[in-house]
Amino acid sequence: MKRIGIISFFGILLLSFIFLWNYSYRSGLEEAYIPLTEDNTTQWALPAERGVFENLDGSVDYSRMIIDEEHQRSLADYYYNRAYHGAPPYIPHPVADEKSMGGTSCLKCHGHGGFVAKFSAYAPVSPHPEMVNCRQCHVAKKSNSLFKEGLFASFETPLVGSNQALIGSPPMIPHQLQMRESCLSCHAGPSAPKEIRVTHPERVNCRQCHVPAENKETGIFIRQKK
Amino acid sequence: MPIKSYLAHPCEGKKDALIASLSSIAQCELLPAENEDVVIVITDTSTEEEDQQLKSRLDNLEALKLLVLVSGFDTPKNP
Amino acid sequence: MYTSLSSRRLFIKQMAKAAAITAAAGMFPGIIFAGEQERAAAAQGDLEWKKGPCRFCGVGCGILVGIKDGKAVAVKGDPRSKVNKGLLCVKGYHQTMCIQSKDRLTHALVKKNGTYVKTPLDEALDLVASKMKETIEKHGKDSVAMYTSGQSTIPEGYVASKLMKGAIGTNNLDCNARLCMASAVAGFLTTFGADEPMGCYEDIEHADYFITWGNNMAEMHPVLFSRMLEQKQRRGAKIVDFATRTTRSSTASDRSILFEPQTDLAVANAICYEIIENGWMNKSFVEKHCNFTKGLTNIGYGLEDKFAFKDKATPIDFEAYREFLQDYTPEKVAKYSKVSVQDIKYLAAIYGDPNKKVVSYWCMGMNQHTRGTWMNNLVYNIHLLTGKISQPGNGPFSLTGQPSACGTAREVGTFTHKLPKGVVTNEKHRRLAAKIWKVPYERIPAKPTYHTTEMFRAVDRGDIKFIWTQVTNPLVSLPKTSRYRPALEKESCFVVVSDVFPTPTSDVADVILPASWHIEKSGIYGNSERRTQHWDQMIEGPGETTPDAWMTIEVAKRMGFGDLFPYSRENHVEEIYEEYIQFHEGKKHGMAPLKALKRKSGVIWPYVEGKSTLWRFNAEYDPACDNGKAFHFYGKPDGKAVIWQRPFEPAPEKPDAEYPFWLNTGRVVEHWHTGSMTRRIPVLHQAMPNAYIELHPDDAMDYGISNGDMVKVISKRGACTMPASINERGLPTKGQVFAPFFDEELMINDVTLDAFCPISKEPDFKKCAVKIEKV
Repeated sequence: MKRIGIISFFGILLLSFIFLWNYSYRSGLEEAYIPLTEDNTTQWALPAERGVFENLDGSVDYSRMIIDEEHQRSLADYYYNRAYHGAPPYIPHPVADEKSMGGTSCLKCHGHGGFVAKFSAYAPVSPHPEMVNCRQCHVAKKSNSLFKEGLFASFETPLVGSNQALIGSPPMIPHQLQMRESCLSCHAGPSAPKEIRVTHPERVNCRQCHVPAENKETGIFIRQKK
Repeated sequence: MPIKSYLAHPCEGKKDALIASLSSIAQCELLPAENEDVVIVITDTSTEEEDQQLKSRLDNLEALKLLVLVSGFDTPKNP
Repeated sequence: MYTSLSSRRLFIKQMAKAAAITAAAGMFPGIIFAGEQERAAAAQGDLEWKKGPCRFCGVGCGILVGIKDGKAVAVKGDPRSKVNKGLLCVKGYHQTMCIQSKDRLTHALVKKNGTYVKTPLDEALDLVASKMKETIEKHGKDSVAMYTSGQSTIPEGYVASKLMKGAIGTNNLDCNARLCMASAVAGFLTTFGADEPMGCYEDIEHADYFITWGNNMAEMHPVLFSRMLEQKQRRGAKIVDFATRTTRSSTASDRSILFEPQTDLAVANAICYEIIENGWMNKSFVEKHCNFTKGLTNIGYGLEDKFAFKDKATPIDFEAYREFLQDYTPEKVAKYSKVSVQDIKYLAAIYGDPNKKVVSYWCMGMNQHTRGTWMNNLVYNIHLLTGKISQPGNGPFSLTGQPSACGTAREVGTFTHKLPKGVVTNEKHRRLAAKIWKVPYERIPAKPTYHTTEMFRAVDRGDIKFIWTQVTNPLVSLPKTSRYRPALEKESCFVVVSDVFPTPTSDVADVILPASWHIEKSGIYGNSERRTQHWDQMIEGPGETTPDAWMTIEVAKRMGFGDLFPYSRENHVEEIYEEYIQFHEGKKHGMAPLKALKRKSGVIWPYVEGKSTLWRFNAEYDPACDNGKAFHFYGKPDGKAVIWQRPFEPAPEKPDAEYPFWLNTGRVVEHWHTGSMTRRIPVLHQAMPNAYIELHPDDAMDYGISNGDMVKVISKRGACTMPASINERGLPTKGQVFAPFFDEELMINDVTLDAFCPISKEPDFKKCAVKIEKV
C-alpha cells in the first residue's frame, strides 16, 4: 500500500512537472520577447501618444469607480492649487519624508489615487507616474505670505463647456498634452474635478474623438492660390 | 425594504406595450435597451409582502414573455 | 456607469441596475441603454435627427444629423447602427462643418481665355455633352474617359458605368478605388472567385486575437479599433500590430512587431511554413476545400507605359507547395525581414493554435504594394491552411478606405474591366448587362482599356482627349503627380471636374461642375462588411449644386441617350437602385430592397428571404452553400478556394547610397483622403494644420535635424519640403521616413513612384527611395 502511495505520489509529481513545463514553455513563447536590438524603440516610442492607453492594462478601472459628491474637487480647487494653467501643482499637505525626492512615498497615494481619511479627500492621480523625481517640480506651500508684492501676469484659463464646435460634439482639448498624455488620470475617478469628469471612462481611445485645439491662431483652411 | 432588479423580455413586437404598462407601476423604475428587445426593471418596495404582490402583478402582464431576477437587496428598516 | 454615494438607498438601486446592465450585456453583446446619448439629446432641444452613413472612411458608421431651420447643426453616432453602436470619431462628429465653407463651388465655372466664368449649369452641361460628342466623332470612343470614385454613391457609379459602357460603348471608366482596393479585389477573386470579405465586423466580438497587417487602425479605422479595445478590456482579447512603423496602434497593442518594407511576403510564407512543419495544418479542411496553385514569377512593376501582364495559374500538389516553403524557414526570413525568429514563430503559433480564434485586418499597407495581390493571397493561405475562415471570430478581413469602395467601385463595378455583375471579358456577363441596360450586346466592348495609372499616362501621351472626374482629387492622390499634373494641364485634353470644393484637380479643369454634398442629396453607400446604407436628402444645397448622378444623366440625355436614362430628378436614386439590384439577384449576392434599407441603419448582403448572410461560404450561415459540406467556396467552379504559391520578390526601387531612405505615405486620424473636406473643418484643421515628415531620431541626429526643421525630401521624380516630426504621432524605423498625403500645399505624391501590382494594377504608395536635406 505504502509503495503504491509513493509511486503514485511521484507519478503525480511527474505529471505536474510535465504540465508546468508545458505551460511555461507556452507562455515563454509569448512573453520571452526580446525587442530588436538595433531598433530599441519600445522604451521611448511616441511619448505623446502612448499615455492615452496607459489604463488599458486594467490595473485601474475608472469605469467602476464611484462618485463621492461630498468629497469631490471642483475646477476652482484644481486651479487654486497651481500658479497658472499648466503649471505643476503645489503640494498642499505636509510631506511624509523631507529627504525623499518623491517616488513611492508620493506614488503610494498619487499612483492610483484613493480616499485619504487624514485630508478627507481623494488623492489626485499623477498623469506621469513614470517620472519619480516628483519634488523637482512639485513643491510644498509652507507660507501664504510673499517676499515682495508683485504684479504677476496671468492668462485666461479654459472654461468648461465652451470648446465644442457643434451642439453635442466632443469637446476639444484646451490644454497642452506634454506630461498630461494620460487623459483619464485627471478626467476620471473620484479625484477628478467634477466639471471635467468624463461620462464614458470605459472608452479608452480618447483622441479618436477629442483633438487638441491649441492651434486656434491657425485659423481656418484657406487655399494658397497659385 | 427589498430592492430587486430584473431583465424583462417582452413578447415579440410588444416592447412598447410592455414599457407602457410597466411605467404605470409606481414601484418600478425602467431602463429600456435601445437596440435589443429587453427592459431592465428595478423594483423598490417597503415590505416583503408588497414585493410578493408586485412580483405576481408583473408576472401577469400581458406583454411580458419572461422576467428574470438579476439581483436582490434588502436594506435595514432605518437606514 | 458612475454610482452616487449620496443616499444609501439610491446607491443600492444603482447597484441593482448595474448588475442588470451587466447581465444584459452578457446576453446581448453591444446592447445600448439610454444613457449618455439620450442625455445629450435632451439638452439639444428641438433638433430633428435624420439617419445616414458617415461621409468619410470605409467603416461606414451610422450617423444621425441634427437639423434645425433647414441647416445641419449637429452630428451624433446612431445607437441603432450595428457598425458603431453610437460612437463616431472626431471627423464624423464634425463632418457637416465644411458645407458652409466660403470657397464652396456653388455654380458651374467655365474656363474662357484663362479665367473661370460663372456659367448657368444648363449651359455648362451643354458644353460638356457637345465636347464629349465632338471628341468621340473626331477621335473615336476610346478618346473619352471618366474617372470616378469610391465615394460616389451606388446610383452615381451605376449611371457612369451605363453611360460609358452601355451607351457610348467604351471601357474608359476607372475610379480612385484602383488606388486603394484593387489588390484586395484581385486577391479575393484569385483565391475565392468572389469579391469582398466573407465575415463581418461582428467577428470582433468573437475573436481572441486581432492581427493587423501594416494597418494603423487606431487612426484610420478608429471606431472599429475602439470595438477591439473594448474586447481587450472585457475579455482579454489581444491585438498584435505587424507594421513598418510604430504608431498609436502599436502603443495600444499587446505586441508590436516591425518589419522591413516589402518583406511581409516572406514573413507570411514563413508563417505558412511553421504551420505546416509543426503539424498545425487543418488537414481535413484543406483536403475538402482547397486547391494548390502557382502563378508566374518575376512579374514586373508596370513602370513603363502600356505595360501588360497576364497571370497564368498552374495546379500543383501539396508536396510541391511544401517544397517551395523550404526557402521560407523563420531563420532564413529573419535575416532580411528584420523580424526575429521568435516573433515569426509567435505569429505562427497564434494562427496555428486550434483553440484560438484569429482575425487578420489590413488595408492600404497590403493593398498599395507592387505585390499586393500576392500579399492578399498569402494571408488567405494562412487562414485556409488552418481552416480559420468564414466563422464568427475567425477570418481574414480586408478593410476599405472609402465609404462606398465596396458598394460602388466593387459592386457596381466602375473599373475598366468590370460590369455591375462580372467582367467585360465574359460574354455571359456582357449579355446580362446589355439585357438590363436595354442596349445592343455588341456595344459593350470585350476588352478592358485603361486602369487608373495608365489612364493618366494616356492623358499625358495625348491618347485621351476628354476626361471627366467626379468626387475625387487625382492631382493630390495619384502617385508621381509630378508627371500627371503637367499632363492634365496640356491643351490636348479637355478636363471636366465635378466637386464640392476647389482642389488642385479643379485648378486644371476646363469646366468645373458644382456637386451636391453627401447630405444635400439622397444616396446609397456600401461599406467594408458588405453593408448597404441608404439616406434621404436632409438639407438643400447652395446655388446650383446638383447630385453627380443627375449631372451624368443630364449629359447622357444631351448626347442623345435619353431613352436609356428614363429617371426622374426627384426619385432617380430609388429608380436606379431598383434597376441595379436586378444584376445581383440570387442567394450569392441578393441586395436588400429599398424598404428594408430605409428602415434599418444599413443591411448586409447577401440578403436572402429577409435575412442577412453574416458569414459567407459557411453552410451554417450561408444559404447559397449547396455542396452538402460544411464549407462551400462557390465563387470557384469546383467549390474550392485556392492556396497560392507566391514567392518574395523585392520592391522596384530600394534605398541605395544616393537615395538612402524608404519613403512611406499614409494618413492621420484628423484628415481624410486628400483633405479637401476635412481641412475645411476648423476643428480638424487646427488640430493638424499641415503635413510633416517623420524621421527616426537617430537619422534626425545624423542630419542635425530637430523637430520642426524644414526638410527637403527628394526622389528621382520630384521633391517636397516639409517640417520634420520626430517621435510625435508616428515613429518610422531607422532608414525610413513617413509623410501623410492630405496636404495639397506639401504634396508628397510629387515624390512617390507609380509602380503598381501587375495583377491588380494598384500603385505602391508605401515604398520608394528618397534622400533628405535640411533646408
